[in-house]
Amino acid sequence: MTLLVTALVTGLGLGAMYGLIALGFQITYSVCSRVNFAQGSIVMLGAVLGYVLTQRAGLPVIVAYPLALAGCALMGMLVELLLVRPFANRGSEAWLMATVAGGILLDNAVLFTFGNEPRSLPSPLVGQTWQILGTGVYPQQLLIPVVAVGLAVALHVLFRKTRQGRALLAVVQNPEAARLMGINTTAMISGSFALSAVLAGVAGLLIAPLFSVHSDMGTLFGIKAFAVAILGGMTSASGVMLAGFIYGLVEALVTTYLGSSYTYIAVFALLIVVLAAKPNGLFGRAALRKV
Amino acid sequence: MPRRLPLTRRTLLAGATALGLATAFPATAQDGPIKIGLVAALSGQSAKSGEAITRGITLAMDKINAEGGVMGRQLELVSRDDESNPGKGLVAARELVQREGVAALIGGLDTPVSLAIVPFANEAKVPFMGPWAAGTPITMNGAEENYVFRVSAVDEIVDEAITEYLVSKYGAKKPGMILINNPWGESNEKGLMKALEKRGMEHAGIEKFENNDVDVVPQLTRLKENGADGLFLVANVAPSAQVVKSLDKMGWDVPVASHWGPAGGRFTELAGDSGEKVHFIQTFLFDSAEHPLYMKLTEKFPEVESLADVTPATGIGNAYDATLLLAAAIEAAGSTEGPAIREAMYTITGVEGVIKTYDTPFTPENHDALGPNDYIMSQFVKGEIIPIAD
Amino acid sequence: MRLTEARLLDLTIILVAAVALAALGLLNGYMQFVFGLVAVWTILCTGLNVYYGLTGLVSLGQVGFFAAGAYAHAILIQSGVSFWLALPAGAVVAALIGCVLAIPAVRMGGPFLAMVTIAFAFIIEHLAIEWRTLTGGQNGLFGFTQPRLLGHGFTEPNLVSLSIILAAAGLLAYRRLAVSGWGIAMAALRDQEISAGSLGYDPIRTKLAAFAIAAGAAGLAGGLFAQLMQFIAPSNFVLSQSILFLFAVILGGAGTVLGPLVGAAVAVMLPEFLSGLAEYRLLFFGALLVAVLLIAPRGIVGTVAAVLPRRAGDVTPADPADVMAFITPAERQTLTVTDLGITFGGVRAVNGATFEARPGDVTAVIGPNGAGKTTLLNMVSGFYRPGAGRIETAGRDIAGWSMHATARIGIARTYQATRLFGALTAEENVIAGFPRGTFGGIFTALGTPERRSMARGLLALVGYRGEPGARASDLPHVDRRLIEIARALAMRPGVLLLDEPAAGLMQGDKRALADLLRRLADTGIAVVLVEHDMELVMGISDRILALDAGEPIAFDTPAVIRSDARVIAAYLGEGTLSVPGRTLAHEPGAIDRLVTRNLCAGYGAADVLQSVSLNVRQGEMVALLGANGAGKSTFLRTVAGLMAPTSGQIVMDNADIHGLPPYQIVDRGLVLVPEGRQVFPELTVAQNIELGAYRRRTRPDPAELEALLTRFPRLRDRLHHPAGLLSGGEQQMMAVARGLMSQPRLLLLDEPSLGLAPAMIEELYAILAELRDDGITILLVDQMASLALAASDRGYILEQGRIVAEGSAAALLADDALISAYLGGGESRAEAAQ
Repeated sequence: MTLLVTALVTGLGLGAMYGLIALGFQITYSVCSRVNFAQGSIVMLGAVLGYVLTQRAGLPVIVAYPLALAGCALMGMLVELLLVRPFANRGSEAWLMATVAGGILLDNAVLFTFGNEPRSLPSPLVGQTWQILGTGVYPQQLLIPVVAVGLAVALHVLFRKTRQGRALLAVVQNPEAARLMGINTTAMISGSFALSAVLAGVAGLLIAPLFSVHSDMGTLFGIKAFAVAILGGMTSASGVMLAGFIYGLVEALVTTYLGSSYTYIAVFALLIVVLAAKPNGLFGRAALRKV
Repeated sequence: MPRRLPLTRRTLLAGATALGLATAFPATAQDGPIKIGLVAALSGQSAKSGEAITRGITLAMDKINAEGGVMGRQLELVSRDDESNPGKGLVAARELVQREGVAALIGGLDTPVSLAIVPFANEAKVPFMGPWAAGTPITMNGAEENYVFRVSAVDEIVDEAITEYLVSKYGAKKPGMILINNPWGESNEKGLMKALEKRGMEHAGIEKFENNDVDVVPQLTRLKENGADGLFLVANVAPSAQVVKSLDKMGWDVPVASHWGPAGGRFTELAGDSGEKVHFIQTFLFDSAEHPLYMKLTEKFPEVESLADVTPATGIGNAYDATLLLAAAIEAAGSTEGPAIREAMYTITGVEGVIKTYDTPFTPENHDALGPNDYIMSQFVKGEIIPIAD
Repeated sequence: MRLTEARLLDLTIILVAAVALAALGLLNGYMQFVFGLVAVWTILCTGLNVYYGLTGLVSLGQVGFFAAGAYAHAILIQSGVSFWLALPAGAVVAALIGCVLAIPAVRMGGPFLAMVTIAFAFIIEHLAIEWRTLTGGQNGLFGFTQPRLLGHGFTEPNLVSLSIILAAAGLLAYRRLAVSGWGIAMAALRDQEISAGSLGYDPIRTKLAAFAIAAGAAGLAGGLFAQLMQFIAPSNFVLSQSILFLFAVILGGAGTVLGPLVGAAVAVMLPEFLSGLAEYRLLFFGALLVAVLLIAPRGIVGTVAAVLPRRAGDVTPADPADVMAFITPAERQTLTVTDLGITFGGVRAVNGATFEARPGDVTAVIGPNGAGKTTLLNMVSGFYRPGAGRIETAGRDIAGWSMHATARIGIARTYQATRLFGALTAEENVIAGFPRGTFGGIFTALGTPERRSMARGLLALVGYRGEPGARASDLPHVDRRLIEIARALAMRPGVLLLDEPAAGLMQGDKRALADLLRRLADTGIAVVLVEHDMELVMGISDRILALDAGEPIAFDTPAVIRSDARVIAAYLGEGTLSVPGRTLAHEPGAIDRLVTRNLCAGYGAADVLQSVSLNVRQGEMVALLGANGAGKSTFLRTVAGLMAPTSGQIVMDNADIHGLPPYQIVDRGLVLVPEGRQVFPELTVAQNIELGAYRRRTRPDPAELEALLTRFPRLRDRLHHPAGLLSGGEQQMMAVARGLMSQPRLLLLDEPSLGLAPAMIEELYAILAELRDDGITILLVDQMASLALAASDRGYILEQGRIVAEGSAAALLADDALISAYLGGGESRAEAAQ
């Protein structure tokens, strides 16, 4: 029983974080059919900036975290400007490799500036534990799903209620008509990369206190989140969040009951099987082909 | 500059620059410096430990060179990064031996990397000195002519020591193991089982976890439910910290005896205050800021400002002594040929190191310079590693 | 013997290998080892080049196959199997795993495929870690017995030599594969998956072959790697290694023969030069990769090759008589379509289409835009699976067959937007058609001298006068159309489907095309033609099927069709529809709202608009009319900023607006309500309408919305429904309302009546008349020509990108130029106007 509760808590927390990062993949993919493969590195950037601004510059969290997220947003826009747009403009698929390289560059740039030692980002929500059904839980673990689902819902609402949000949806649903409405699609694409990076940054800030802050902390999160985005089908935000929870829970249950040795094998084999059965992901749909 | 190249090779490799080609030929200088190769993790998560080893070797070489070198020749360090990757380590070792022409290798932070290099070192007949990796089979590799020596802890002996510590100090009867899922963990699983069997004790379970596991509660819960009254911990600093955090979460206060993983970084920062409860093994510590080697360190490396900046001191001490022993053997052999150095290793004695004075540290049966008496149980206090008073 | 490009490549490979082998003896052990690594990488990258460079698939999991080969080899060696058996066995094991992985993967593309390969690499890596009894776990396996050959020990230098020889063999094999039927099929799949299918190439088998070859090469490389390293562990096979492999291929030049060699050499040797800067290595790699992608996307070899002259051997085009004999079908094929239908999301795109295309006949399919003509071709050619009906030819019902299956039974087709294989030459495009999807030998060049000669003959036949060796993607639109016809003919089809072959062709070319189509039909091919140029259709067709809104309305001879009232109504609009005229005589304002001068624009090399000059005055409603393909939509899109004009001037309210991005043009008050409504389907009607005001500085107040709803009462009940659920008419109302929301100074309407029921059209036009009477300036494009003119003050008639007539609406309505512009016969006027 305790084991099951532990697995569920861990799975929901991590799943929510994967979902949050995956949401970033989904947003840019919806807007321009491209993703930022450096997303995992931006998770790391969020955590590193959060650490540097609070622990080294001594800023209060309320100032430091928004600044860290702004840094992530800027990085997202830079990635789009330098590593995606030049290739998109010439109809090349090389943005894929370019953003992968961007991630390598970012990881190493941080390694040489931030240092090679894992550091710890303190949080008031780590230290005291809450007892839930016989298992101890850091409040931070519960904060992740709350923030992730909250953000997903908030985005859903913002997209529908605000002028720019609707403009973004318009670009997703019909890019050409959006241009005819006078929407600057270039700026919207740039914005979607910024937003996607902010989500990654939030994930980084949330997970850091439970983990440690170092230059290669994001790579694996990025890959898992990409798997989640694919599993969710890349078309709907709710599908991607749901896929995040499914992935997190499967991962935690496999770890708990089979041992962590089998986690990757089982989870990724399952992913291939699911995609074999549903090539557009669990909740995705195929577009109508035209000639 | 080495001699000019035949034209054929230039056409052969249009993309190659002259620099790369120039190094394609063995350096054969007889009176230049004696090169010593270092293969260690200089980047990534273990870089801190790699840096400690580099510092130890550098200090020892400075001392030797200042005193006139070895056989009248200066020592020179050639470093290669193995990225904690055995394949990369093996290629780097080959390159150091076959291209740089080093007289001996020092290296291997990680047991897998060392294990990958061992067969090559024995075959190439190049002495391979280990200042860190503790895997038992590194030195006990079964080779007829064993070129691998070590100035460091040995898993089997460490396991014996930490078992003794849990039993005698905490009266543990049924300890559990929480081990990192890699060859180092595997090696200690064997060592710990041996130590427990020797005492006729049972264990509460063997649990493995991964380097990047955020949460180890499931594994620890299983140990707790099996009635563990003490824990053996084997993992590097960051994953060790994840274990402590998970213990905290569970509110489980249990004595933890650890291999030296926590010494590899800012353990208490990562693990929180509970990190101080973890007791771990060390071979060398700076007992105060007046330690002569520490003084030299601050002189040579201005970035060192406090004792907290030189963790893990073990790496520095081991590497320092290893270099001195290696130099002594080369001097004794009067040659940079591998077989001669190996033979000389068994003859050196009275070498004054920073850990101890080595009298006949190596014999054909024992290639480990440090034994159980050289281990110190320690813990973190306010970010510094402090020996535990008995 | 001439030194062709192929022979030159072969010689280069052999020479490089020979020099490398000779040099081995001069090198120290480590450099020999490095040479071995370069050879191993070359083998793997050559395989990856088949997969990525040739077939265009992305694999981030190649290291998985590398690992599988290495472990299979190592385990076999350690269980006593001879090296000479273990090495190929490793390759076979990897290739088999590749085939298994291909089963789910061939159906995927883009990021989904990338993810599957990543997942696969992770699984292999972790299996290697966990399956300790077999793989040695994290510690890996080491010590692989030295192989023996003819009683001699096979030393490390021997092994390196073997690797170099195998790498050279791999490169030579790639060179041959790339020009074989398989290679052409792979390149075809990469450039144009759809038309690869319509040439008869089975995409699944092609991809499967690419997977197997890439995996097998990686497996072979893995075996050599294990033997060379004498040690393998899971850490040799991490995901980042896959990225380096792909990097090597891109750096060297994806799709070039020597690219993998150069890429492998750089990727392996570079760290050697940088060994002193060990920790900065990855930083350097990342930067180099980005730089290469940005500056030299074709890679080192591709960039160098681009400046070298091509050395394809010359062949003489086949004799025209031989060409005609070649394309004459051995067996005549009739295409009989009965009650064919298909629905998309509840909309009947085609319903009950029935016709027969006889061999020797030109059978045309006509109809207004959106009538379902291309959809009909798509069903016949197997691109869409029909929902109902039969398609019979050569004694089989082929309804629902895949594209490559219909191609193999003798149905060839061309596309509205040409779908040539961009990276192949004109000649190679045609050659790709010859085998009708039969791959042939894996190393047998498809382009035999006979075929090349016939390909040139076919190109000459269709009237292509350009360079046969030019890359298809560099050619102008017209040439691409011709090559596509030649490619279809290379298949020796019994049935030839042509989708708007005349679009964009000049008058003289059109006559040549008409002549060609007639001659093709005369050989006994059943030619099926979808075409808007009525002059052409009426001139050469034996029978014509007229479609309207997916329904067949007539199937008869040109003479009958031309005078069929329903056909004329479908094209010009129902004569019974009425629109309120102006109640007061209108005196247009003195100011020109929009002026275009000598405006030219188009897609690719050919201009669709050829020097269009017109003006719209303030408060005026102007109709721009013309047949499909005349350039009306192109004109509106260019004015709205969606397309950049190639030359000429667009002036709005005395300011140049050409070249501005659309959002700045919207700021100036010019709004286009696009063809096909283009709603935001998942936003509500209210949200759609509000987006119309996106660029306005002030928020629209409720009264404004209220006023719009009064104008479009149908929208009131639907205000909070998703726009996608509205009927076509409601969507059109909404699109106009959305356009009005920006308070436009000039409203452009593109085909507002398209696909609407007559009652709805009348309602819509009543509203447009109201807008006109309220003083809004409107430029209207509609194929309901008489209706549009009835509503407008003035009109222009556009034909083939030129304005051929202009005048008051009343005058144009009375002019027979209108009917001839739509149903043919206006050519004399066009030429007179020049």
